[in-house]
Amino acid sequence: MSALRVTAVVRRIIAQFRRDPRSLALLFAAPVAVIALLGAVLSGSGASTARVAIVSESSQPASAAVVSRLTAALQGQPTVMVNTDVHDAATARQMLKDKQLDLVVNIPADFTVQSPKLQLVTLGLNPTGEASVIPNVQQALFKAVAGNLGGALPSIERSTVYGSPDATTVDTLAPVVVGFFVYFFVFILTGISFLRERIGGTLERLLATPVSRAEIVLGYSLGFGFFATLQVATVLAFVLGRLDIPSLGPVPAFAIGLGVHTAGNPLISYLLVLILGLGAVSLGIFLSTFARTELQILQFIPIVIVPQALLSGFFWPIDQLPSLLQPVARVLPVTYAIDGLRQVMIAGADLTSGQVLFDLAVLTGIAAVFIVLAAATIRREVA
Amino acid sequence: MTVASPSPTTSATTAAPAVEAVALRKAYGPINAVDGIDLSLPAGRIYGMLGPNGSGKTTLIRLLTGLVSATSGEARVMGVEMPSRTNLARIGYMTQADGIYPELSVWENLSFFAALYGQRDRAEMIRALELVELDGRLGTPAHQLSGGMRRRLSMACALAHHPAVLFLDEPTVGVDPAVRVQFWDHFHRLAAAGATLLVSSHVMDEADRCDELLFMREGHVLAQGTPADLRARAGTDNLESAFLHFAGLSASPPATAGSSQEAAR
Ligand SMILES: Nc1ncnc2c1ncn2[C@@H]1O[C@H](COP(=O)(O)OP(=O)(O)O)[C@@H](O)[C@H]1O
Ligand SMILES: [Mg+2]
Repeated sequence: MSALRVTAVVRRIIAQFRRDPRSLALLFAAPVAVIALLGAVLSGSGASTARVAIVSESSQPASAAVVSRLTAALQGQPTVMVNTDVHDAATARQMLKDKQLDLVVNIPADFTVQSPKLQLVTLGLNPTGEASVIPNVQQALFKAVAGNLGGALPSIERSTVYGSPDATTVDTLAPVVVGFFVYFFVFILTGISFLRERIGGTLERLLATPVSRAEIVLGYSLGFGFFATLQVATVLAFVLGRLDIPSLGPVPAFAIGLGVHTAGNPLISYLLVLILGLGAVSLGIFLSTFARTELQILQFIPIVIVPQALLSGFFWPIDQLPSLLQPVARVLPVTYAIDGLRQVMIAGADLTSGQVLFDLAVLTGIAAVFIVLAAATIRREVA
Repeated sequence: MTVASPSPTTSATTAAPAVEAVALRKAYGPINAVDGIDLSLPAGRIYGMLGPNGSGKTTLIRLLTGLVSATSGEARVMGVEMPSRTNLARIGYMTQADGIYPELSVWENLSFFAALYGQRDRAEMIRALELVELDGRLGTPAHQLSGGMRRRLSMACALAHHPAVLFLDEPTVGVDPAVRVQFWDHFHRLAAAGATLLVSSHVMDEADRCDELLFMREGHVLAQGTPADLRARAGTDNLESAFLHFAGLSASPPATAGSSQEAAR
């Protein structure tokens, strides 16, 4: 292993991308634009008023009192409109379907004062949008029930008429987007760069020099690690930071950045994403062996990227996937990056957390496997 | 222009021929691209490898540099069995397709390859570019160069580390005649300083500039010798006729070696 040769490869990759402003722009602007859009869309839907009904399926005498307390509590909320005409659960569900209600608070049949339990029911056609009405309702409910029931906090269950609930908001989506974008871009850019080496004749030229395959993989990893680092820094700064711009003349006030609250250390988030990215570099090199044209690299998107988007916990929790797909989800690197990022950014976990260490270990293992595969496929045999 | 001597070789390997092949064979499916070639080329000379397209010139160079693994037989450069990664530091290879990065400038391409060979001497790198007359275009991106200029850059990248053995795969294709003359002058200077050059070509017009010729066809070496020697053995004063003679084809009607494929490189 020669530092001089590895450095030469790293510098070359950085120089090549400096000459390609479009790819650079894609690397930094695209994730920021998507997250900004996501933030705008989600916060926009949160501003509307939620139409709520409170019903009871419980025969407990206390439940009627709970209903009236909850009603009183929710009526004080600015973004909530309580429909007091609905009393039975079946009607309320029908009204959800008819789009006359956004949310139903149900006191289930097994409600007891000892273990108070509430159900929040939404339609389930668009869990992400519906979820935006929940937080302020939930706040009010906690206060009302806790006050009423002498300190015992109710457990609140989410349920939907259709599908399964998923309380996704900007906060919980941000870590996912960070991890996913790095993986996507690093994979695509490495795949195409290495394919160009193969078909452009430079790989043959490279392999006729004393550079080793390990040095090439390391050089690529460091070069793309450099860009992944800048990308993560940009995206994290945008997601976590927030710069409020006051209104000026006809331009209304707006904010740059999402100001998402992160509980954990951004450096640990970065570490997770970096190891994920290293795996993506090697995967790109490895898969470039099986492509003859740049179009064929793009054909790997539905094979490599889309399944990870669907199965890695991006949209649905792994536990709720069909049992057949769960093992698949558990071999995908993005699954572990997203889990780790959620642990760190939402739950505030650090490196003492067994779960985060496990995620890091699995990501390292997956990266190691692909580094070996990548090095093995940069065969001396060319042409 | 001064010519630095090629990287010094150890005394143990100087006695061995610079390039050696023993029953070297490479099969691609049913095709024997190189079909049992034996070579023993002493150092310090220019060898011209001549043959039509598909005769196995590129494959032979790839075998000698260890870029493809032989189906059978052995290849040695400076006495070291190939493939050998460390031995590649003493070898220069100009590929048939220009192995340069189009986005990178002339200087970035050259310094990248020089660094991989451990060459860090800026003056030597500039000298390599002077030889190919690209020293005035250090900052030009390679994709803005003409075909002949890219060929010249590719040549500089193969020379800058002063290899003891140089494999040049059709180096002068697309290069204008004045620069060609300069190339050949430099090749002779390198050979005089002890370097060994194996230059492939599918046309005969530069054959007389080589010290020794290898006529190749269908993976075989048909004949080997100095141009004068080959002419004499074929009983002709024309190398093209000599090639046809050794290929077992009649000398008339006159044709050039690989004439049908000359345009399609
Ligand atoms: N990678 C390869 N796969 C299959 N056949 C090949 C490959 N490389 C070369 N060949 C075949 O080997 C023969 C010799 O090719 P080559 O060495 O490129 O000839 P030359 O350089 O003399 O034109 C040709 O028939 C060619 O089609
Ligand atoms: Mg060839």
